[in-house]
Amino acid sequence: MNASGMKLGLGAYTALFLVFLYGPLAVLAILSFQTGPEGGPQFPIIEWSTYWYQHLFGLTPPSRIAPLPIEQALVRSLVLAVMTMIVSTVLGVTAAQAFRRKFRGSGVVFYLIVLGMMVPGVLVGLGMALVANTLGIDRHWWGTAFVLHVVYTFPFAFLVMLAIFNRFDPSMEEASWSLGVTPARTFRKVTFPLIFPGVLSAMLFAFTLSYDEFSRTLFASGRDLTLPLAIYGTFSVEVHPNVFAFGVLTTLFSFALLGTYAALMTLSVRRAKRVAIQEEA
Amino acid sequence: MSMMAVAEQTEAETVAEKKPGGKALWLLAPGVLWMVLFLVLPMLMMVYVSFWTQTTFKIEPTLTLKSWVTFFTSDTYLGALWTTVRIWLIVLVATVLVGYPAALYVGLFVKNKALQTVLLVLCVIPFWTSFLIRVLAWRPMLGKEGAINMILMNLGITDAPIEVLLFSELSVIIGMTQIYCVFMVGPIAFMLGRIDHSVIEAAQDLGAGFWRIFRTIILPLSMPGVVVGAIFVSVMVLGEFATSAALSGRKVNLLGNIIVTQVGSLKWAFAAVAGVVLTILMGAVIAALLRVVDLRKEL
Repeated sequence: MNASGMKLGLGAYTALFLVFLYGPLAVLAILSFQTGPEGGPQFPIIEWSTYWYQHLFGLTPPSRIAPLPIEQALVRSLVLAVMTMIVSTVLGVTAAQAFRRKFRGSGVVFYLIVLGMMVPGVLVGLGMALVANTLGIDRHWWGTAFVLHVVYTFPFAFLVMLAIFNRFDPSMEEASWSLGVTPARTFRKVTFPLIFPGVLSAMLFAFTLSYDEFSRTLFASGRDLTLPLAIYGTFSVEVHPNVFAFGVLTTLFSFALLGTYAALMTLSVRRAKRVAIQEEA
Repeated sequence: MSMMAVAEQTEAETVAEKKPGGKALWLLAPGVLWMVLFLVLPMLMMVYVSFWTQTTFKIEPTLTLKSWVTFFTSDTYLGALWTTVRIWLIVLVATVLVGYPAALYVGLFVKNKALQTVLLVLCVIPFWTSFLIRVLAWRPMLGKEGAINMILMNLGITDAPIEVLLFSELSVIIGMTQIYCVFMVGPIAFMLGRIDHSVIEAAQDLGAGFWRIFRTIILPLSMPGVVVGAIFVSVMVLGEFATSAALSGRKVNLLGNIIVTQVGSLKWAFAAVAGVVLTILMGAVIAALLRVVDLRKEL
């Protein structure tokens, strides 16, 4: 077996594969610095400028290119993501807590929950719109769309928490109970600090998935646009580099979130280590 | 991957069955209720409404098979069904072909754990960005004045820009392959990472060449990864409509696109029929994939 030649070849292929993954995004980022308003979404770059970023914030003189309707949409998307994050994390923690004890029908319940992340948004969105129509409920991003976002993110939170509880030593809680501490206080003082990294991951998943989610929102949200819906609206018309500039900014926002998560995670791990050292001493 | 493992675990736990105690019931009730009300009920509603009567702008709860008959006698709808199946098959094969060698390198050839993690993280990072932006990013790549045509013309490979790159079936396939191939790379790399290197070394010592080792050891052991990846990719591609809307210039209509346009023109019953057809197709595909490899046994 010509292992080293094979390895070299596959390594080169993997490098190309990464170019394939990142190429379009890199091109998009470069073109977002095209001059405006006459510069189009293609090469060559006529002149480097931040025109389209200013255009995004309404800092440029009015031109024939309408600004993206993102201001209201951004607020809605953030509020929706926070609502989804809170509810799906709470549901995920409670459901996973129930799964720590064996019970009849756990298989069915497990698949019911996981189904939420498998069913395509277009189907459940359509179904929700039909239910809302039949019951005469108005569709809103904070109502019908919100519950679907939770249907989608709750399974992720649930799976993360299941994985955490699987590695969790129940004798810690038992010790607390046997010392006469109430279950509520035990959860707050013993269980929660131990599962905190999982909760943080579940929150991160729920927030990002909801912030990006659009196929469920498309059918279930009525008239007011969320951020992804505003982007989806540009698909049918001519694309200008302002959408690219927006893409760069929203990517940076996602990375900032990831950074915050990493920082909080490091802090929590460090604190756990310090506590462990204190206990040993 | 971990999902399957967890599923199996909960399955194993039910061997020692217990009734849900009072406390567990209260913990489970909110989540289960949420899923029943906002997932199961809407799906059942979709099936129900597919038998309703469609008038110009309204649907009435008088049961009829008319929408179903319309669906299966219309060239547009049947065409969309065929396009969905075709695009799904092509993208599935493309993601395996594109993803497998990368997974082979990351999972089997990179022995340094840190480098392995870095490569996997590099594969996942694009998922941290907006899905729609990633789709849209293919427009300046593939367009007539796009980056690929520019590079090809500067290298003198073509004289005129290749127009078929954008707003065609090809652009939809390229876009979907790029967006979904990571869901193939992950599970395959995971399975390859679990292969015991001594088995491969033993085969080498006995004089087997690389292709023989690949065919008899590596490929069979990685099949569960391929199947899990195929399930991920299939579920996502079959439910797609945004990539085709953004990159095909309305030339490619998937069942998802049909649902979107029907809802747009308030043809709820037709949309529901398309939705049910899509659900059945998806169920059949997953069932077929699970037949290929017994995941319970392999994972």
